[in-house]
Amino acid sequence: MARRRGSPAYSRRSSGRPRTGGRQRGQQSPKFRAAFCATCLVDQFYPEVGVAAVKVLRRLGVDVSFPEDQTCCGQIAFNGGFRSHAADIAKHFLDVFENEEQVVVPSGSCASMIKVYYRELFEDDPETLERAQAVSEKTRELSDYIVNVVGTSDVGAASEGLVTYHDACHLLRELRIKEAPRDLIGSVRGVELQEMEDSDACCGFGGLFSVKFPEISTAILDEKLKTIAESGAGAVVANDCGCLMHIRGAMERRGMNVRAMHLAELLAGDGTDG
Amino acid sequence: MSPTPEEHPNKAAFLLRVRSALGRTEPIVHMPDHPSLKSNAMRQQEKVRTVVARNEARRSSTLDRLARTAAAASWNVRRAGDTEEAASIIAEIAQQSGVKSLVRSAEDVFKRVNVDTALRSVGVSPAILASGRSRSRGALRDMAFRADMGVTGVSYAIAETASCAVTPRRGVARLASLAPPRLVLLIEPDQVLETLDDFFAITRLNRMQARGRTTNYFNFISGPSRTADIEQTLTIGVHGPGEVHMVILG
Amino acid sequence: MAEVKSAEFKKASGKALRDEKLQHSLEHVMEHFVGARANVIENDFGDEPWEAMRTRAAAIKQSTLEHLDYYLDMVDKSVRRNGGHVYFADDAAQANAIVLDIAKRNGVKTVIKSKSMVSEEMGINHVLEREGIEPVETDLGEYIIQLAGETPFHIIAPAMHKTRGEVSTLFQEWLKTAPTQDIKRLCVYARDALREKFAIADMGISGANFVVAETGTVCLVTNEGNGRMTTSAPRVHVVLAGMEKIVPAIEDLALFLRLLPRSATGQRITSYNTFVGGPRAPSDEDGPEEFHLILVDNGRLNLLRDEVLREALRCIRCGACLNHCPVYRKVGGHAYGWVYSGPIGAIVTPPMTNMKVARDLPYASTLCGTCKDVCPVKIDIPRLLLHLRHKVAEGVIGERSTTWMERLFVGQWHGAMRSRKALEGKANLGKLLTRPFTRGGKVRKLPFAPMVSGWTASRDFPAPAPKSFARLWREELAHDNGTEQR
Repeated sequence: MARRRGSPAYSRRSSGRPRTGGRQRGQQSPKFRAAFCATCLVDQFYPEVGVAAVKVLRRLGVDVSFPEDQTCCGQIAFNGGFRSHAADIAKHFLDVFENEEQVVVPSGSCASMIKVYYRELFEDDPETLERAQAVSEKTRELSDYIVNVVGTSDVGAASEGLVTYHDACHLLRELRIKEAPRDLIGSVRGVELQEMEDSDACCGFGGLFSVKFPEISTAILDEKLKTIAESGAGAVVANDCGCLMHIRGAMERRGMNVRAMHLAELLAGDGTDG
Repeated sequence: MSPTPEEHPNKAAFLLRVRSALGRTEPIVHMPDHPSLKSNAMRQQEKVRTVVARNEARRSSTLDRLARTAAAASWNVRRAGDTEEAASIIAEIAQQSGVKSLVRSAEDVFKRVNVDTALRSVGVSPAILASGRSRSRGALRDMAFRADMGVTGVSYAIAETASCAVTPRRGVARLASLAPPRLVLLIEPDQVLETLDDFFAITRLNRMQARGRTTNYFNFISGPSRTADIEQTLTIGVHGPGEVHMVILG
Repeated sequence: MAEVKSAEFKKASGKALRDEKLQHSLEHVMEHFVGARANVIENDFGDEPWEAMRTRAAAIKQSTLEHLDYYLDMVDKSVRRNGGHVYFADDAAQANAIVLDIAKRNGVKTVIKSKSMVSEEMGINHVLEREGIEPVETDLGEYIIQLAGETPFHIIAPAMHKTRGEVSTLFQEWLKTAPTQDIKRLCVYARDALREKFAIADMGISGANFVVAETGTVCLVTNEGNGRMTTSAPRVHVVLAGMEKIVPAIEDLALFLRLLPRSATGQRITSYNTFVGGPRAPSDEDGPEEFHLILVDNGRLNLLRDEVLREALRCIRCGACLNHCPVYRKVGGHAYGWVYSGPIGAIVTPPMTNMKVARDLPYASTLCGTCKDVCPVKIDIPRLLLHLRHKVAEGVIGERSTTWMERLFVGQWHGAMRSRKALEGKANLGKLLTRPFTRGGKVRKLPFAPMVSGWTASRDFPAPAPKSFARLWREELAHDNGTEQR
């Protein structure tokens, strides 16, 4: 336990790559330094999203580290009502990340767990609450980080075709992030953003909800798939692997010819992969 | 006047449970801090004085605003230059609707606007809907339900929402503005207020100044009776009047 | 008290999902409400911006709740000063007994009712019928569902699930009217039938949208005129009000009368607002001679007592959270199994009725947060749902009510997420277990895990990646010097 606290065993060593800056700056010490929180879904199911996110951040000259003892923010247990389990895992999250300068998360719901719901989780534990608040303040969702911290909406990406954007619920309604992802998509060369009807409507995932009430979840998803199809876009982009797992899972089952991709994947494209 | 009804035997225990649910053991002695409870009668009077002055100053634009919001809320709006014109407009409405039996209330405004003569001139004889000596509760109800049209005055008309505040009292039966399928409300310029806030500020003052029991009842009428309960299809005229006319003096 | 069928949520929602006609009306009506609300809020706010109004309303209601004992006392004194009777009922049974007592003392044969959700909680209609008293709902929607023997489908559109054809059939059966597809005609049939009842009713029962403490004024918000009829025609008027319905002063109504109709039906104001605080004055031409206000607890204390759930009592029953909820829009009102449905129903039903029976309701939400954004009194519905889930899962107010499968899953998850080492161990096991069911990186069916098989019935589940991100970082990314040149 003692070793894990602060995680010197993994994170310090693993993130200790040469601290040279990004290509634009070519300075000895980069302007931006961020610890990447991959989220459990990306770590276990969609590592390519993490790879893409790191690629984009590095392209912007961000010095990215990956504290390797990280696991999960605890949201799944918290949303299920299992708060003591969630608190345990959330504390581990704090152990891993509290010494970092900045934490970047490629997920609206994980970011809102950390930034909004840790307050709730630790309301009766003032000591941890204080730590949580400190971590919460330096945690940013990926698109928010790029646009509002790094300060650019053009990450030098290129791709092609019509893309539609799905507002992940927590990103939009807990973190109020609406424009940043759109600005980023809008700056990708060769890509046109085609808004779908009701882009802010829930896809029906809701974590535990999607397995506890699969029929309702699927019925809500049907509406989302309909609006995606009607947009005529070749790809639907979102900032949350929960929504994406849900949307993609049904599109693949039904053989829909639309790609479901994480914003990071779109932004990582440089036009060479078509 | 009947005595004040007694306190319910469960009250004390009920309040005790509420209090303990809120984590308190003692009752609250001082009035909680609440902006709209703060003013005493004197300060409320000052507030109302400002409200009245503002409404007087802006009367003509408020009348226009009322006419606009009322038209948007499905009122048939007519404006009358003087009392004579108002009376003849009401007669005209009755005539055009083919009204046979008409009830009206007995507000002061009808002393100034002689609707009875105008109505009789088009062959409609108005009846005043009041219980009086000879009319029982049931008879008054029957009379109201049988009428084709009701004509009444208002206490206030609120431009913001096109709401007419109708306050039943002696000579003003509740059913006069409710039971007949057509309703005409006659509004005088000094009854028009800009906002709901204005109206409730005045109402609060009236309640504070009232000695003993005052009327405990008033209504806003803000348009025709309507429902959308079947297939979300708007239908006008369910239990109340489906055809509503606002005649504005001024 | 009305029967609680919330344990059947899953089954009932499945039935609703398969009812094509119902799905059609849900879509149609919800779209209408959502559109009308958005339109009026966008185009028609007055001097005070919408957000400011919501904030102020939330603060007024919250403060009233924090001082509820004080304001209840104030209501009691004001109404009695007006000559009305006031009662405090702990539960549905007490409230029913009070109504019945008033009815019997007055020899009441027919009761006309204007809409009251509290009366639905109480199941008063059955109680009256058992005593040979005829209750007649006068709100058209309520009247339709009364004839159909159902409960309200929606707080403000109780019969929205009925088609004109079904209403016509009901009217043919009960009112002996001719069949028709004309909605206007149907309204006339109802109007005529109800006029007869208005003429003979000896008692009117209404709900209360607001109860003003300082003046003892009950405010009713209606469109049809039945609220006025109920408070004008009969000799006795009984008001049933949840004890949380109080606003301190009459000037507060200006704010709430702006918020409620805009949120509910997208109207600037409803056709009628009735303000009544006691019996008719001796000089009045008509109106009830007796006025009775019954303030009802019936489980509300369980909400009040809980500092998080307390704010649910701010609710002014506008129905906006229902109209905007992706779950309600699919399953409709009856699936929730009691009087209140949608997000607010999912919150108030368990504490007001039975935590165990209604344990599924707090989970019947994707936590998408739309409800919170549209609530006119800013109830943080997702937060309250999460709070209730905590109570259900960890047995905070009794035994744990989750399934063994959920507990097993969370236990396993917890074991895996304690450290990177544990995670990689469990992940390897997961890969091993899912491998036989994996084709092309997708899991199509997981027969041994009932929780996950619900997912895979309609959606592919991703197979665990061959290499986790952490491993990719170790093996490749960490050694990249961080600069990318292409």
